[in-house]
Amino acid sequence: MAEAARRIDAAGAALALEAVSSGYGAVSIVKDVSLSVAPGEIVALLGKNGMGKTTLLKTVLGMVALRGGGITIAGQALETLSPARLVALGVGYAPQEQPLFQDLSIRDNLRLAVPSDRLLLEALERLFGHFPFLKDRLAQRAGTLSGGEQKMLILGRALMLRPRLLLIDEISEGVQPSMVERLRTVLLAERAAGLSMLVVEQHVAFALGLADRYAVLKLGEIVDSGSAKAPDAQARVFDHLAV
Amino acid sequence: MLLILDILTTAAILFIVSIGLLAIFGVLKIINFAHGAWLTVGAYCAVVTAKIGLNPWLALPLAFVVGAALGGLAEHFLIRPLYRRPLDAILATWGLGIVVGQLITLAFGRDVQLTPNLLAGTVEILGVDYSAYRLVALGIALAIGTLFALTVERTRLGLSARAVIMNETLARSLGIDTGRVRLIVFMIGAGFAALAGVLLTPLTSVDPNMGVSWLIGAFMLVMVADASYRALAAACLVFGAAQVLISTFVSPILGSVAIAVLAALVLRISPKGFSRA
Amino acid sequence: MLETLPATGRAAAAPGRLSRAAPFVAAAVAALALWIAPLFLDTFAVNVLTRSMIYAVLAVTVDLLWGFAGILTFGQAAFFGGGAYAAAMILSAYGATPMGIALALATAIAAPALLGLVVGWLSFYHRSTPLYASVISLVVPIVVVQLIYAGGAWTGSSSGLVGFDVLPFEIEGYFRLAALVLITVTLAAWILVRSDAGRALVALRDNEARCAYLGLNPRRLQIVLTAALAAVAGFAGFLFANASGVVAPENAGFLFGTELVIWVALGGRGTLLGPVLGTIAIDYLSANLSGDLPFLWRLLLGTAFVAIIILLPGGLADLVLRLWRAFPIGRSGHAAPAIAEREAETEPVAADTPILQVRGLAKAYGSLTVLEAIDLEIRAGELVSLVGPNGAGKTTLMRCLSDGTEPFTGSIAIAGTALAGLTPNRIVGLGVGRKFQVASVFESLSVADCLRLARASRDGLSPVGRAATLSLPQAALDVLRMTGLDHRLDQPARLLSHGQKQALELAMVVALEPRLILLDEPTAGLTKAERATIGRVLKGLTAGGRIAAVLVEHDLDFVREISSRIVVLHQGRLVLDGTVEAVVGSELVRTIYAGGAHG
Repeated sequence: MAEAARRIDAAGAALALEAVSSGYGAVSIVKDVSLSVAPGEIVALLGKNGMGKTTLLKTVLGMVALRGGGITIAGQALETLSPARLVALGVGYAPQEQPLFQDLSIRDNLRLAVPSDRLLLEALERLFGHFPFLKDRLAQRAGTLSGGEQKMLILGRALMLRPRLLLIDEISEGVQPSMVERLRTVLLAERAAGLSMLVVEQHVAFALGLADRYAVLKLGEIVDSGSAKAPDAQARVFDHLAV
Repeated sequence: MLLILDILTTAAILFIVSIGLLAIFGVLKIINFAHGAWLTVGAYCAVVTAKIGLNPWLALPLAFVVGAALGGLAEHFLIRPLYRRPLDAILATWGLGIVVGQLITLAFGRDVQLTPNLLAGTVEILGVDYSAYRLVALGIALAIGTLFALTVERTRLGLSARAVIMNETLARSLGIDTGRVRLIVFMIGAGFAALAGVLLTPLTSVDPNMGVSWLIGAFMLVMVADASYRALAAACLVFGAAQVLISTFVSPILGSVAIAVLAALVLRISPKGFSRA
Repeated sequence: MLETLPATGRAAAAPGRLSRAAPFVAAAVAALALWIAPLFLDTFAVNVLTRSMIYAVLAVTVDLLWGFAGILTFGQAAFFGGGAYAAAMILSAYGATPMGIALALATAIAAPALLGLVVGWLSFYHRSTPLYASVISLVVPIVVVQLIYAGGAWTGSSSGLVGFDVLPFEIEGYFRLAALVLITVTLAAWILVRSDAGRALVALRDNEARCAYLGLNPRRLQIVLTAALAAVAGFAGFLFANASGVVAPENAGFLFGTELVIWVALGGRGTLLGPVLGTIAIDYLSANLSGDLPFLWRLLLGTAFVAIIILLPGGLADLVLRLWRAFPIGRSGHAAPAIAEREAETEPVAADTPILQVRGLAKAYGSLTVLEAIDLEIRAGELVSLVGPNGAGKTTLMRCLSDGTEPFTGSIAIAGTALAGLTPNRIVGLGVGRKFQVASVFESLSVADCLRLARASRDGLSPVGRAATLSLPQAALDVLRMTGLDHRLDQPARLLSHGQKQALELAMVVALEPRLILLDEPTAGLTKAERATIGRVLKGLTAGGRIAAVLVEHDLDFVREISSRIVVLHQGRLVLDGTVEAVVGSELVRTIYAGGAHG
C-alpha cells in the first residue's frame, strides 16, 4: 500500500479524499486521511467507535467543516456543493445517529428524501423492489418499526433516487443475522448495477465480505488498508480491533 | 350562554393573534418581538384600504402580502445573523418593532385612526343578542386553524417545516434547503400576524403602538404551546376562559394579567407547557 | 441556549489595567466635577440630568444582570417602580417627617428586595433556561402595573401620585445626591465585578453547568443577585419619587424595562461605564430632541439599537475599547496570583465502605431501556474503566452517578449516602468530581480564575478584591506542572489548545479534592504525548489509595495501560467486570467489538 498506489486520479474516482483533516471546534478528529472509491467499488472503513469514522462520512457530506486537504465527488470539489446539490449529484447517505423522523409516517420519511412529489411514485417502486414489506406499512410511524426494519428503511431511502455514490454508516448495527443477509443481497445487487460505496462498519465479517478494499481508522488516521479479499485481511483487521 | 360565547370568541381572537408567532417560534426557534409591529402594519393596511375606498375585506389579502414581504426582508437582513444568539434576536426584533412603529407614526401621525367596521350589528343566537363580528371572528379563527393545520399536515412545505423542527441536521442531509424553509415560514408567520391586525380593527383602537398590548399575551400563549398549533388552540381556550371568568367574576384588571401569570406558572411546573398532552 | 459573545466576554474579563487606587481617584474626580456642575448648568439641564443619573443607576443593575451574569431582564423597571410607589405612598400618608422618610426609605428597599426574592425563586431552578427567566422578567412589570391600576386612591390608579412631601432639597441638592449615589453604585459594581466573586458572575454566564459541577449553587447565586439588585433598583425608585415629586404607572412598566435594556445595549453591556454614559447621553438627548423631532429621534434610536445588536454586540464601549487597545501605551496585563500548595482535606472513607455503590440501577427514556440491572462497587484506590460500543449506556451511567435528579430506579450511594434526588452541586459536596467529554471550562476567565472557582465551594470568594495567592491541593498542582499550565495562569481559557483545556478541566476537578472522579473520554482528540500525561496523572491520583476514578474511554490501549479494573457495558447491561487481564483476554469483548454479538 504505497502512497502512490492509493492516489487515484481524482477526476476519475467516484469519491477522492486527499490529506483530509476535520473536527469539531478545537478538536481534530480526522487527521490527514487520503482515500478513494473508484466507480463501482465498495470500500469498507473499519475501526472501533470513537475513532473518527462517522466524522469522516460527515466531512464528505459537508456536515463537518473541512480543516485541511480536499474532497472531490464525481470530479467536483466539495466546497462548491450544497446538500441539495449533493443529492442531485447522486450522493446517497444512510446515517447511523438519528437516521429517521421517528414521529413521522414511513411515507413522510420517504417523501422528505425526494426533491419533489412527482418523483415519489417511481422512487417508491424502486424501494419496494428492495424491501417489499414496506409496501403495506407506508402509513405507520417510522418509530414503530423494529431496529432491523428501520435499517432497511434507511438503506431503501438512500437508494430511492438511484445514487451513484452511497455513504453507509453502520447499517448492520443491532440487526439480526437473517436481516443482515437481506441488506447484503441488496447492496451487492446495487453494486452490480454500478453503484460505488463507502461503508463504515464495526461488523468485520459483514464488511469484508461486501467490500473490495478496506481501510482501518485509528484515532483519526488510517493505520492499515488493503484488499478485502486478501487471505490475511480478517486477521489484520482483528489485530487493530482487539483490546 | 353569554359567558360561553365570550369565552369562545376570546379564545378565537387570541388564536388569530398568536398563530403567526407560533409558526415562527416553532420552526426558527426565534421569538419574534416584532410580532406586535406586524399586527400594527396589518391594521394600517385596513386604514389604507378604507382611505382609497376599497371594500374593507380586501384589506385581508393586502395585509397578508405586505406582512409577508416585510417579514421576508426582516428574516434575510436581521434574523439570519442571529440564529445562534436567540436572546439577542428578541432584542433585535423588539428594536425592529420600534422602527416600524415610528415609521408608521411618521406616515400616519400618532392619533387613533378610524377604520370602517368589517361587520356591524348583532345577531340573536340561542336567545342572546351577540356581536355579529365576534361570531364571524370565531368562524375566521376556525378557518385559519384549519388552513394552518392543512398546510402543516398535508403540504410539502408543512412536512419540510416539521422535519426542520424535529431534526434539522437530518433534514439538511436529505437535501432539504432549510434556509429557504425558514424564510418562507417567517414570511407566512408575518403575513398571518398582519392578517390578524386587520381582524383586530373592529375590536380595538388603531394607533402606532396597538400591537404591543397584544404582543405579551400572544408571546405567553406561544411559550406554553411550544411548537404545536393544537396545543396553542387548547391554551387559547383555557387561558381565554380564565381571562373571561376572572374579568367577569373577580376584577377586569386581574383578568387582563391572567394569561401572563397563569402561563408563567404553567411553564414553571412543566417547561414544555401544553404541548406534552 | 449558548450564546457566543466574544466581545462581551473580552470586555467583562478585561484585566484591571489600572492601579488599585485609580477607580477611587476617578470616582472622586467625577464626584467633584458633578458637585460643581449645577453652577454651570441651566435648571432644565439640572433637572433632566438628575433623572438621567437615577436611570443610570438602574442601567448598572441591568448591566450586572445581563452583561455579567447573562440574565436578560426587563424586570428592573418593576422593582424601580415598586420602590418609587412605596416611597410616594408612605410619604403621602406620613409626610416628610424623619419617621416618614425612614419608613419610606426602608420600604422602598425592602419591598422590591422581597419581590426580587420571589421573582428569583420563580425564575431560577434546576434546569431552568435563560429564556424562562426573561419571560418572568417580562411578566413582573406587567403585573406590577396592573396592581398599580387596581390600587385606586392608594396608588392614584392610572394618573399616578403627585403632591406628596419630599426630602428638603433644592434641585441642585437632588442633582448632587443622584450624582453621589450613581458614583457609589458604579464604584461598588466596579469593585464587585473585578473581585473574585465577580468572576463567579461571569462563570455563571459562561457555563452554568460547570458551576454546578464545581459544587457552587447557581440557583442561589442568581436569586441573591436578583434580590440584591432589586433592592438597589428600589432605592433608585425612592430617589426618583423624591426628586421628581411624581410617580406614574409607566415608571414600573414593561416598556421602561425594554428602554433600560436598549440603553445598556447601546452603551455596551458588560462594561459598566458604557451603560452609565449611554443612559445619561441618550436620556439627556431624548429630553432635548424629543421636543423638536419626536418621532425621528425614536426612529433613529430604534435603528441604532437594531444595528448595534446585530453588528456590535459589545455596544459603543466595545468600539471605544478597541480603539483604545490600538494604542500600545499603558498596558500591563493583570498579574497572575502566586500558587501555593495546601494540605489535603479529604477525609478518608472507612475502609469497609465502598466509595461508590450501585445496586440494580435501571434507566429508560420512554419505552427505550438504556440501563438495566447494573450492580457496581468501587473502593478507594481503584481506577475503573468503563468500556463498550456506542449506545451501550456509558455516558448515561456517568450522568446518573453525578446528577441525582435524573429519573432512575435502583440505588446509587456515595460513601454510604444515597444520591437520588440530589442536584449536581450537592453531589459534588459528597465528594464526586466530574470531567465532561467536551472540555468544560470558563472561556472568558483566566486559568487562575477557573481554578479559583473550583476552590470556591470550599474556600469562598472575596466580593471586594482578588486574593494574591491561589492555594491548590498537591494533585492539582501536579496536573498543572505536568501540562505546563502553571506558566499560563494569567491566560484566558479560551486561548488554550484543546489538550490544555482538557488538562485545565481535569485540574479544576482535582482541585475539588473529590473522593470519586468521573471522567468521560478525557483523552478524546488529544495527541499521544497528552494522553500519556493524562494517564500518568490519573495513575498518580489513585495510587495514594484515597480516591477512586471511573473512566469512560474508547481508546482500549490507553485503558489497558492505566486501569486497575475494567467494566464492560453492552446494550445497557453490565456484561463483564474484572481485572485487565481477564477482560482483555475475553472472547466476549472481542465479539462485541468486532460486531456480531447481538441480543
